Amino acid sequence: MNSLLRISSIITLVLGGALVGPVFEVVQPRGLNFTLENSPTPQKHLIETMPGGVALFDYNNDGLLDIFLVNGGRISSPLPAQDDFDRHDPRYWNRLFRQNKDGSFTDVTEQAGLANAGDGNYGMGVAVGDYDNDGYPDLYVTSYGKNILYHNNGDGTFTDVTAKAGVAAGGWSESAGFFDYDNDGKLDLFVTRYMEWDTKHSKDCGGNFHTYCPPEEFPATTNILYHNNGDGTFTDVSQRSGIAAKKGRALGVGFADYDGDGFTDIFVSNDGMQQYLYHNNGNGTFSEVALEAGAALSDNGRRMSGMGVVFQDYDNDGRPDIMVTLLPREIYSVYHNDGGGSFSYRSLETGLGVLSSGSSGWSIGLEDFENSGIKDLFVAQSHVLDNVAVIDPSLHYLDVPLLATNRSNRFERIDSGVTTPVAARGAAFGDLNNDGWQDVVVTALGGHPQVLMNRGGKAHWLTISLRGTRSNRDGYGARVQVNGQTRFATSTVGYLSASDKRLHFGLGTAEKAKVEVLWPSGIHQILDEVHPDQVLEVREPELSEKKQR
Amino acid sequence: MISGLMSAGAMVSGLAIRAVFVVTFATLSLSPEAAQHMQAGIAADKQRQFDVAVTEFKKVTELEPSFADGFISLGQVYIEKHEFGSAMQPLKHALEVSPDSAPAHQLLGYALLIQGFASQAIPHLEKAQDKTALGVAQIQAGQLAEAVVNLQGALAVHPNDPDVLFYLGRASGLLSKQSIDTLIAGYPDSARAHQAMGENYFVLRQMPDAEKEYREALRLRPDVPEVHMELGEVYAGAFQWDKAEEEFRAQSKLQPGNAEAAYRLGEALLAQGKGHEARVELLRADKLLPDMPETLYSLGKAASLEGDSAAAEKDWTKLLSIESESPLAAQAHFGLAALYRKQGKTAAAQEQMQEFQRLQGGSTPSQAPAKQ
Repeated sequence: MNSLLRISSIITLVLGGALVGPVFEVVQPRGLNFTLENSPTPQKHLIETMPGGVALFDYNNDGLLDIFLVNGGRISSPLPAQDDFDRHDPRYWNRLFRQNKDGSFTDVTEQAGLANAGDGNYGMGVAVGDYDNDGYPDLYVTSYGKNILYHNNGDGTFTDVTAKAGVAAGGWSESAGFFDYDNDGKLDLFVTRYMEWDTKHSKDCGGNFHTYCPPEEFPATTNILYHNNGDGTFTDVSQRSGIAAKKGRALGVGFADYDGDGFTDIFVSNDGMQQYLYHNNGNGTFSEVALEAGAALSDNGRRMSGMGVVFQDYDNDGRPDIMVTLLPREIYSVYHNDGGGSFSYRSLETGLGVLSSGSSGWSIGLEDFENSGIKDLFVAQSHVLDNVAVIDPSLHYLDVPLLATNRSNRFERIDSGVTTPVAARGAAFGDLNNDGWQDVVVTALGGHPQVLMNRGGKAHWLTISLRGTRSNRDGYGARVQVNGQTRFATSTVGYLSASDKRLHFGLGTAEKAKVEVLWPSGIHQILDEVHPDQVLEVREPELSEKKQR
Repeated sequence: MISGLMSAGAMVSGLAIRAVFVVTFATLSLSPEAAQHMQAGIAADKQRQFDVAVTEFKKVTELEPSFADGFISLGQVYIEKHEFGSAMQPLKHALEVSPDSAPAHQLLGYALLIQGFASQAIPHLEKAQDKTALGVAQIQAGQLAEAVVNLQGALAVHPNDPDVLFYLGRASGLLSKQSIDTLIAGYPDSARAHQAMGENYFVLRQMPDAEKEYREALRLRPDVPEVHMELGEVYAGAFQWDKAEEEFRAQSKLQPGNAEAAYRLGEALLAQGKGHEARVELLRADKLLPDMPETLYSLGKAASLEGDSAAAEKDWTKLLSIESESPLAAQAHFGLAALYRKQGKTAAAQEQMQEFQRLQGGSTPSQAPAKQ
């Protein structure tokens, strides 16, 4: 952290591990030179306000998190029927930044083989997962156009294996994520798609104001589920799994086993319509149950502008809850998991009515930034429309993030330390400097990423790195419990983004931790008397200590 | 401008009855030749052969210069032809012959009004006791208070007439504006002027200016009614619920009998997740103005927030007994479904969801304008 260029110098007081003062220091790490080129136009082509994702992952396994940033592209004006988006121009490349030991970053995009994201692709998001279980995290980049699967060769380079793998998707993809829906030990891939929009049929709305059109102006479309065949190829099982049975306007996706049946379920946030909760039936099929489960609409029964989603346990009851970011005049949704496959809407009880009704949220995370043992809430915020203040002076385009601490299951705003409003979109979470305190990287349209380094404190922590053996190597889908807290292993987070796959837990003043891992294989592993303040690799035992199912 | 106020077609729409009136008397008192032309004119008018009718009625007036109905009929046909200037001479002549003829006054009033001579039209319309047209003329002439009175009278006779409703609204609005303009021009530093300015800014969605004006009004007269409520609305629109609560609470203190203030306060508390406090205020609103569906719905939400499922069920069920097909009813069904689901009453929850979906027509309503 000392190596990072400090932008603010506000004194932090630390009292018994609890922070007083801003939680983050906004830094501009040396070498992290990136501008998210979304190319806004007066014609308000919808794609231009939607990128871009960020991934925090350790691509070279040196123990330091690296940063991958998805870029948009150049939008021609007027927009031709076929725009190549100039992705061959370095200005519009996606970028991989390797973190150096001194906290600076080096742009390794070209040497890693990630330059030029393909003509005709306008970048959106990124997913991270070791789909071939070789120990090196792979990248899946979504776009308007064709998506790209980059295989990590383990030598610092990646290879575009999209054609062989058969995962190009097409159309307009948004958030994506790796998960193992059939518990066969191989990561499958879920890709959300927004709508049937294309450059030939772009239009603007709002008359003289020129606004992005509401999603209802374009036909809904299907999401895609790819099954990992284990030989470097995937099979599109969207139809036979039931995923394609419902069309939507999806932007975000989250994975967790909400009903404890041992199979990972999927929550999809849809824009301007009901949300989807795909229950994993355990036989390769899914049933969309959001309405009957109580996780589809607002408490008034109204459909919402679902954008980002996080599928984690905010109240430490061991069950994953769902939080969805929305537009202003809506309230970010909190669907509390009541057990028994049922959710209840708790946005008002949790204080989100006060915190969110005037804001637009994109990426969202539930992380314990204070290491208190209770997860806090972070939302990257900005309105969709750059001219929204002209139309409605009570709203604004640029915004600062929402950071709220969880006090008795009611979120209360705390000082993030971020004072510069930006057009935030993606956000990913992880411990960039391995100091035991969760950091954040936020993407901003037309701007540089915001790197928020946690100022830290005295509380204890434990970070767990899962190493699956029978389960997928990343351990995605595992339920990990530490001293009464629960996390569901996934790197998929918020909107278009991928967090550090390691699971972080704040321990407060606890000097020891009890760790329980329920692996996707069904193996239940318990580690007692674990020392705090370490990154602990937990390897899935070959033989089960205790089977739960 | 006149045609913008009232179309000629609308104004002449009531003349068929008068035509019958003319026929009856024409056949009794005219010479056979004049009666023949009168009958021919009426027949031509019915067939909308206006030029023929004009010719026939002219002959009547030439044969019977003291027969007022001949001139009235001629004027009427000119009006039907939208030749309002031509209508005036025969109608004025009719009034010379028969000064108290209501149809002549009415038609002349129409003709004058349509041509923009509202002040000249008014005495004729007064004599004809045509309150609708009189009200329209008075709006034109700037006699707004009188217009409101006459249009209210017209509305009592024609309660569902869109034209009357429209002009009454216009007259009231203009009267209100006139009064406010006088206030702001004459007493710019008064609390009421600042309140009025605040209301103007509120309508224009210039909330910082609205807030400033309301604040100034309250500084000048802390007890002035409604300003707290209006300021609360400014804060509620900007999602500043704590400030909205403060203002609604102040309004409720000033006007403990104001049900809307209690309701708004309850809503502001509800938005902040303060279920118990919200419920107290909403119960008070319900007591002051019982069985308002909006209050009952919010009461259900507040009860649910507090974990009082029985009360929530009671409130929403009561709402459904008052209105069963509205969007609010759909929301009540949705709330009941969530409540029953939480209680493990799957069948009851499904039943409520079915009702919810039926009221939505198989879909779900949108909430906010997406992406704009």
